[in-house]
Amino acid sequence: MKILTERMEAHRTDSHTIERYEATGGYSALRKGFEIGPEAVTAEVKASNIRGRGGANFPAGVKWGFLAPARPAYLVINADESEPGTFKDRQLLERDPHQLVEGVVLSSYALGVNHAFIYIRGEYPKPARRVQHAVDEAYAKGYLGKDILGSGFDLDVTVHLGGGAYICGEESALLNSLEGRRGEPRIKPPFPAVEGLYSKPTIVNNVETISNVPWIVSNGGIAYASIGPDTSAGTRLISLSGHINKPGNYEIVMGMTWRDLIYDIGGGIPGGRELKAWIPGGSSAPWFVPAEHLDTPATIDDVNDLGSMMGSGAVIVMDETTDVVAAAHRIVRFYSHESCGQCTPCREGTTWLERIFNRLLNGQGRMADIDLLIDVSDGISPGLTWPPAMTTICPLGPSATAPVVSIMKYFRDEVEARVVSGIPVALEAADG
Amino acid sequence: MADLVTITVDGVAMQGKAGEVLIKVAEDNGNFIPRFCWHPRMKPVGMCRMCLVEVVGPRGRMLVPSCTTTINEGMEVDTQSAVVKKAQEGVLEYLLINHPLDCPVCDKGGECPLQDHTVAYGPGESRFVEEKRHFEKPIPISELVLLDRERCILCARCTRFSDEISGDPLIEFKDRGNAVQVITFPGEPFSSYFSGNTVQICPVGALTAKPYRFKARPWDLEAVESVSMVDSIGSKVSVQSSQNEVVRIDGIDNDATNHGWLSDKDRFVFESIHSADRITTPLIKEEGQFREATWGEALDLVAERLTSFPGAQVAGLGGANSTNEEAYTFGKFLRTIVVTPHIDAQLDDGLDPQFLVGVTPRAAIPDLETAKTILLWAADLKEEYPVLYLRVRRAAAELGANLIVVHPRATGLDDVATHKVRYRPGTGPEVLRELTGDDADYTEIREALAAGPVVGIVGRTGLGEDPRLAEAVAAFVRDFSEGKIMPLARRGNVVGALDMGLAPTLLPGRVSESAAHDVLESEWGPLPEGLGRNATSILEGLRDGELRALIMLGTDPVRDHAEPELAAAGLDGAEFVVAMDQFITDSVAAADVVFPVAGFAEVEGTVTNIEGRVQKVNRLVPSPGQTRATWSVLDDLARRMDGNLGATAAAAIAKEITGVAPAYHGVTWDALDWGDGREGLLLPLAEGVQHLEYIPVDGQLASVDARYGLHLGRVLYDDGVRVRMSPSLAALRPEGAVFLNAAALDALGLAPGSPAVVEGASGRVELPVAVDNSLGDGTVYVPANLESTRSLGAAVAVTVSPGGDA
Amino acid sequence: MKPATLSEAEMDAISDWSESSQQLVRELLGKYPDKRSAVMPLLYVSMIENGYVTAEGMKSVAVLTGLTGAQVQSVASFYSMYKREELGKYLVSVCTSISCFLLGADDVLAAIEDETGVPDGETGHDGTFTVEHVECNGACGGAPVVLVNYEMVEGVTAEKARELVKWLRDGGPDVVGTEEMQQLFGGAKSFDWAVREPEGAVLPVPAFAPYGSARGVK
Repeated sequence: MKILTERMEAHRTDSHTIERYEATGGYSALRKGFEIGPEAVTAEVKASNIRGRGGANFPAGVKWGFLAPARPAYLVINADESEPGTFKDRQLLERDPHQLVEGVVLSSYALGVNHAFIYIRGEYPKPARRVQHAVDEAYAKGYLGKDILGSGFDLDVTVHLGGGAYICGEESALLNSLEGRRGEPRIKPPFPAVEGLYSKPTIVNNVETISNVPWIVSNGGIAYASIGPDTSAGTRLISLSGHINKPGNYEIVMGMTWRDLIYDIGGGIPGGRELKAWIPGGSSAPWFVPAEHLDTPATIDDVNDLGSMMGSGAVIVMDETTDVVAAAHRIVRFYSHESCGQCTPCREGTTWLERIFNRLLNGQGRMADIDLLIDVSDGISPGLTWPPAMTTICPLGPSATAPVVSIMKYFRDEVEARVVSGIPVALEAADG
Repeated sequence: MADLVTITVDGVAMQGKAGEVLIKVAEDNGNFIPRFCWHPRMKPVGMCRMCLVEVVGPRGRMLVPSCTTTINEGMEVDTQSAVVKKAQEGVLEYLLINHPLDCPVCDKGGECPLQDHTVAYGPGESRFVEEKRHFEKPIPISELVLLDRERCILCARCTRFSDEISGDPLIEFKDRGNAVQVITFPGEPFSSYFSGNTVQICPVGALTAKPYRFKARPWDLEAVESVSMVDSIGSKVSVQSSQNEVVRIDGIDNDATNHGWLSDKDRFVFESIHSADRITTPLIKEEGQFREATWGEALDLVAERLTSFPGAQVAGLGGANSTNEEAYTFGKFLRTIVVTPHIDAQLDDGLDPQFLVGVTPRAAIPDLETAKTILLWAADLKEEYPVLYLRVRRAAAELGANLIVVHPRATGLDDVATHKVRYRPGTGPEVLRELTGDDADYTEIREALAAGPVVGIVGRTGLGEDPRLAEAVAAFVRDFSEGKIMPLARRGNVVGALDMGLAPTLLPGRVSESAAHDVLESEWGPLPEGLGRNATSILEGLRDGELRALIMLGTDPVRDHAEPELAAAGLDGAEFVVAMDQFITDSVAAADVVFPVAGFAEVEGTVTNIEGRVQKVNRLVPSPGQTRATWSVLDDLARRMDGNLGATAAAAIAKEITGVAPAYHGVTWDALDWGDGREGLLLPLAEGVQHLEYIPVDGQLASVDARYGLHLGRVLYDDGVRVRMSPSLAALRPEGAVFLNAAALDALGLAPGSPAVVEGASGRVELPVAVDNSLGDGTVYVPANLESTRSLGAAVAVTVSPGGDA
Repeated sequence: MKPATLSEAEMDAISDWSESSQQLVRELLGKYPDKRSAVMPLLYVSMIENGYVTAEGMKSVAVLTGLTGAQVQSVASFYSMYKREELGKYLVSVCTSISCFLLGADDVLAAIEDETGVPDGETGHDGTFTVEHVECNGACGGAPVVLVNYEMVEGVTAEKARELVKWLRDGGPDVVGTEEMQQLFGGAKSFDWAVREPEGAVLPVPAFAPYGSARGVK
């Protein structure tokens, strides 16, 4: 079952062009949408049960329902894909930008929005060029602009390029950034649906979420909802990376086990090595290990129940050679670098964690550092529970604690050995 | 009234207003939750995370910042749980990671929330073993403020103040994450009129003010509450001294007036108190030179000379920088001992005294909070009434009021104004007629004004503006729905002085001379008959020999009167001039005898602000040398002139005022020192107490026709004596210039910086020209009372021509 | 979305900018309901004009958006792509986040530092290279990934990275094209790129056609 990637797989060379898009049924959902009216479009999206694909997995139809009545209202597409391990939106932007544009027009129409923004991360110039080109084509063909297809509906789309800040993937930080401010997350409430861009009601949706809207309108929300498990409806793109034979994006129907995903779809571990651990949903997610999780289902709810998350659908695989202390350090370093600096625990705590790791890696670790790592993490995410409690405005800081908790939980002996010898356990094994 | 909501904090039920944040409700009810970034006068940002508490909800306990959580009915809060304590310890340990702990040499040490919270809520020790973050130690970010980024805990109070409150965001965060710092932009220093507020609200010693640095340790300070007398807004202050020297002034949050904020002039003017230029002994002029004299000698001389003139040939000027008690004594001395009706606290630079104190309906500052529309046709508030500027800014930017600014040039509030009208000085009457008529240009403004409540802030836009225009504007505003009027005059206690009868048309207690003459005679004894002269007429009388002697109380007509030449001629023409003052100003220099008197922070008394709000000023330090309180000098003088003022103490005078001055019935020091009166008592205290109910009228002024209309407007740091005597502020005085728009410069064949001559009926100045494109055609702007511009009088019609030898 | 009209003061602020940049400024200001939103794209335009984000450039952006210099600096310094120092002709960015790290990104970075002689975070004396490690660039399926002027090469090895550096140094292209570099120096990709990309970068500024440094690849 392919929804998002069917066209690009069938048409390698031109799936991104308006000619191919139109020739394969593109913009017919838009015509249907104008026929059935905005309420009906909204109803289909609600009926589809599609959950946001940006990482939080919040039901999109419910989010739309929160949009306050004040106008103007805005739709903002979050294409600031930055979670380590995630590269699915890039493929959708490059290979099928019109699918997104049609989704934007339909969604804007449903929401009563006349100006939409597509916020693309700055490091994605090529995807941005493709999207801008698609937007230009859509204007030229009358799919954007005034009185679209004679519907009386007007829509402008601005493609906006970010400046290099992971935190702008957080929707309120993204809105600040789009307003020309520092990308600092806002206090919620108010939520963007009530006070968003320019303090006006705003819906922020992920690229993948909105790219599904044309199919949903064409085929009906119920048809979409019937795909996959009840609470993980539809297909979704999974990004496989790390120590895996066949890395890449895969559009799957949720419900298969991790073993299926890693060994069948991903082709297993290179060199026949052993699987040591994997991160099930982007680098913010607590790790899974084969002994406990390999035969559990990869659905939003199952993963959540087991103390982690599907997040953005990014699966990062680590084999037996992995130095887990170094790997955890690399993830902690990311969050320290990307902290916006507003909240004390995140600004100071993530950097402190990184510096303790630096000492461990340099052979200057102390046994007390193990408890210190845990306690500093606890100061950012009290109790180190799942889902994480937070002493911070947004989940960035708590995300940095996931690898710390994971290595202490599953590989504490390796961390202790590292303190004692200063040498990675994996390396010792190789030497031994 | 806002609905009351009941919540439970640590098992104690308490009430707050719906919409209030938890941290405030808890504090108002005696439960202090620690915080760094939250400030009651700024929007919460929830950044420092120090104020985390647990809220018990249906889904269990949630850790939330109490500064961003609004209360709702039945909310249950735990501020003491183990989770909360752990979070507090964590935040403090994190903050101290990079804090230099240079407390022994930090100005904030001893009054530092970071120290205090660490003692109360901190972990006791640090587990951080790495190197701390380093920055260059304090760097100046303006002439007044230094920044130590190592001490900064990034609470963003300073950056938010400058953006949200004062509207000049010149300090900002830079960089991201652990590298964030507060800093200015290269070449754009933090030269804000309000920079000192950021020093005051900084929760650590990151921002320090040059005038206070290393002057004292906080635990050595003595302090009193008082009121700033720099302008007529009546901002509440804490005056602080060390070893009998005032070393700092901080703002105190008065809901009615300053919200805790001050201008840097309010804050740093204390330097003038201990200036080496203070007069500390009586002076007698002999052969054109002052010599020091004893009090007895000087008083005898003045008593003898004043007695030698018929009372009606003596006049009194000043009192607007004095307390009500001093002003009252001055007026009583003039009217009953000298027996003269010629008396004026203003220098023809304000408004008609009856209008200023008696206008009805009168707006109070809190009316700005509920105003839908504000018409501002007065001075540039940022330059002349900076704290009022903050309040109007808040009304427009935060509370959504329509703001209509009518002024000859761009003002500090233009960026938040909904409508701006600029006009050439002299054409105000025409603009008003168009506004009141059906001129299509002003339709939107008329529509905005139709939305009440309306507050009209009226006054003279510049020194040359006819004061009757402000009254005509007031008459216009009065007709709108819930229209109220706030008339402006600048000098610190000008309203108090007028309320004490220091105007020809007024007697103490906000009553007119004609209405209250007989009543007051029953208290004071015989009074001079007929209306006296105002300031201009007094100076003319002295110049022309119709008047012969002058008594000045803290006034400098040579600098402050609209016609400096007239003022100088008046003083020159007087046979005998007595000055009571703190400094030898240009006017005092013309006196025959000078009495050194005590001033701000050296005397106790009351002042009345522009709204008619009476507040208490207090004594903290002894006055220098042989200086004496004004009332005691006058009392002594009266005795030597065979009279008796009965002025035995400021408190006794205050008591007399409450009996004699109708509007001040009930305004006792006790009422001001205790309870609600500490926020000030707004006159009239009850209906019918205010006898003077002045209805403004539109006198149908004619416009002044001229090629160039002069806008002589004040700037905050002008050449006034207290700025001159405060070194930190004196350094901030701008150079003078003649401002024209670019087209006018072209038309005159002038390049920026080349000299131009502005000349009018009352003076002339030659200065470099500068471009100000907010000026309309035919408007020339010259900042008033700078060293380089003081020779220019306030005549509206002027000529502008190229200067130099051309 | 009509291009904005600039006031005299606004034109003054960018009087030394090229005509095409001035036109971009007008167009960009027309794309947003509030001109402050144009701060980020305008900063890129200033980088095209000045090579990096200079104080003068920030001041110009401040005038165009009605902000103070401090406000523009605050925004610019928040984001890692607004470079505040002069850059080499080629900005070589090596992703060293988790997926790239697992597949040898540190070796790739070391090879590039060694081959260019430019340490991480610095610019070489001859102005050819700026080398930096960066956080995740969304190419985890083609790890390790290297960007040259934000144009991507996936599946790079340490050896290939050295070859890339040599190619750039010895008469590298004026227009950096992702496709060409991928063919010459790349390996596994995150997904099928499918079709040749006609545009590339001419500066270390993202080559995004409406306002970046994009130009057609030969």
